[in-house]
Amino acid sequence: MLSIKNLQVSVEGKPILKGLNLEVNPGEIHAIMGPNGSGKSTLAHVLSGREGYSVDAGSAQYKGLDLLEMAPEIRAREGMFLAFQYPIEIPGVNNTSFLKKALNEIRKHRGEEELDAIDFLSLIKKQMKLVEMKEELLKRPVNQGFSGGEKKRNEILQMAVLNPTLAILDETDSGLDIDALRIVAGGVNKLRSPNNSFVVITHYQRLLDYIVPDFVHVLSNGQIIKSGTKELALELEERGYDWLLEEAESKA
Amino acid sequence: MAHLTNNFSEWVNQQVDGDSPFAFSEALRSASLSKLATGVFPTRKDEEWKYTPLADLFDSKPGEETAGVLDTEFIRSLKQAMPSAHTIVFLNGEYSEEYSDSRAMLEDSGLSISRLPQLEGTALKLAEDTILKSTLTDDNIFQHIALGLSQNGLFIEVKKNVECQTPIHVIYISTARGVTAFTSPVNVIRVSSNSHLKVVEQYASLGEATVITVPASYVQLEDGAGLDYYKIGMENAKTNHICNTSVRVAGSGTFRSHQYLLGSNLTRSNLEVSFTGPGAEAVLRGVYLGDEKQHLDVRTYLDHAHPHCSSDQHFRGILNGHSRGVFNGLVLVREHAQKTDAQQSNKNLLLSRDARIDTKPQLEIFADDVKCTHGATVGELDSDALFYLQSRGIDQKDATLMLTRAFAAEVTQEIDIDSLRTYVQGKIAASLDEIVIPSV
Repeated sequence: MLSIKNLQVSVEGKPILKGLNLEVNPGEIHAIMGPNGSGKSTLAHVLSGREGYSVDAGSAQYKGLDLLEMAPEIRAREGMFLAFQYPIEIPGVNNTSFLKKALNEIRKHRGEEELDAIDFLSLIKKQMKLVEMKEELLKRPVNQGFSGGEKKRNEILQMAVLNPTLAILDETDSGLDIDALRIVAGGVNKLRSPNNSFVVITHYQRLLDYIVPDFVHVLSNGQIIKSGTKELALELEERGYDWLLEEAESKA
Repeated sequence: MAHLTNNFSEWVNQQVDGDSPFAFSEALRSASLSKLATGVFPTRKDEEWKYTPLADLFDSKPGEETAGVLDTEFIRSLKQAMPSAHTIVFLNGEYSEEYSDSRAMLEDSGLSISRLPQLEGTALKLAEDTILKSTLTDDNIFQHIALGLSQNGLFIEVKKNVECQTPIHVIYISTARGVTAFTSPVNVIRVSSNSHLKVVEQYASLGEATVITVPASYVQLEDGAGLDYYKIGMENAKTNHICNTSVRVAGSGTFRSHQYLLGSNLTRSNLEVSFTGPGAEAVLRGVYLGDEKQHLDVRTYLDHAHPHCSSDQHFRGILNGHSRGVFNGLVLVREHAQKTDAQQSNKNLLLSRDARIDTKPQLEIFADDVKCTHGATVGELDSDALFYLQSRGIDQKDATLMLTRAFAAEVTQEIDIDSLRTYVQGKIAASLDEIVIPSV
């Protein structure tokens, strides 16, 4: 599904990712944890195709395609999805028509027929229940006037509608209270299937109480310094990151 | 007529000396003609015309134009904006019996619409009075061109306590071929106490000739009266349009104006609103959309002379190619206009490196207990928003289009006539479709 090898990325000449390796297979959930400034968000941005990042070495393949050569919209049409850490407000662009346009672009790319307004509405209404979102939010401009929790739910709603093969959740838990966290995680769990994979980027272990990962990786200073199973996350919760950082240093 | 050396001014000069057809008010006409005889045409040395070149207009010398063929499909498309309005069509400056809704010219439960040349008696006096009291200054030469040379126009009057359900749609079409065509419609609108009216003015041209349109409109709203006044400019690239609108709003009256400047070679729209009583309100909205070498110039002047009045202005510009926009808005809050609430905002989106905007929002406040804000922005599309849309599968061109339309929609969504909103948004979308190309 996703194969990242020795990925080295810098921003304005400053190295952020320093040789990152990651293999994600279909059906797997990978959690990427790490202290602030370790490169978690950079990884999410580079994978989704945001400008301003320079790939200095290494490769990222998605379904066998050279991911880093693809325009952001092509990545999305090929089934990638990024749930933003800070979903932005887009005044004047209606939430529903935006999502319908996005879905139909993806369907066109797959050679499927575009959905008309009626079919789309029945799809979106079904998915809204999944994230317990109020219907009036569909009539508003994208994320405008949404609370922090509503914005994150809107991200999960988009994910549910677009039905990606690989979803990257960039600190989706940040700023969420426990109820919102439960709803967002519930949405992810319902979308889980043997064909879909998730990369869940988080600073805290608590999201992983709700979205149980198959693998946990610790990112520090631009590299994955330790990988394990969900128990690793619990250990991090208990002991913090420092012991791992020290361990990594002594190895180096 | 000293100082006038260009083709257009020579032509105006000839009209002054000649014996052009009678418009409606001999008194106003001769006063304006005498102003024209001594008047000076502006140059870019004039502060008010600093950003707006009139060379294209001055190069033209109007003559007896030949009317081209009017495609009925074209007129049908214009009427789509307001399918259930009273429609009045002026074709090359002349009232068109054929295309106008004949019922519109009848007096109908408190609303009367008359053609200016047919005015007489009290109605004529009222129309003259409205024009005489206007805020347009004596040195406004284009006002005098309109009044001195006008051959047609409308007087729309609403009696007291009348809720006009059916809007009025006035369409001006030029089909001129060959030599330069000149029209200068004069419109006078009076809405009496506690009455409400909606008027849409639409300008279009489809001939090959250069067209010069110099309209002047005079609006008077009495106590508690309301007017929604829309102007849709969608002339072709051969048209130069210079219009003046003067609005006087009495106590508790409400004036709402929308201007959509979507065409022409050059448009200069000057809108002046003055409050003549307390508690009045003005809402001014507008979008100017320019491409290639278009020049779109919006001026507003808000005169707060009475307390407890509010004005709210929101204009947005989208400029592509080598087009140029100008926004110049002056809000004057006089000494006694306490509790004034005046907002003014101008936002501009430049889609090309060669497009240009000169924006100058101005506030002059002489009262001490007021709430006034103004501001202008010039920018490009938000790259974070573009990326967000792209990350959902929408390509750069479509994302750019969506955001640009959305930028205009922040204003157009306030059009409260459904068919007109759909029409204007559709026109803007169609223009953007043509001009937005993905940046590489």
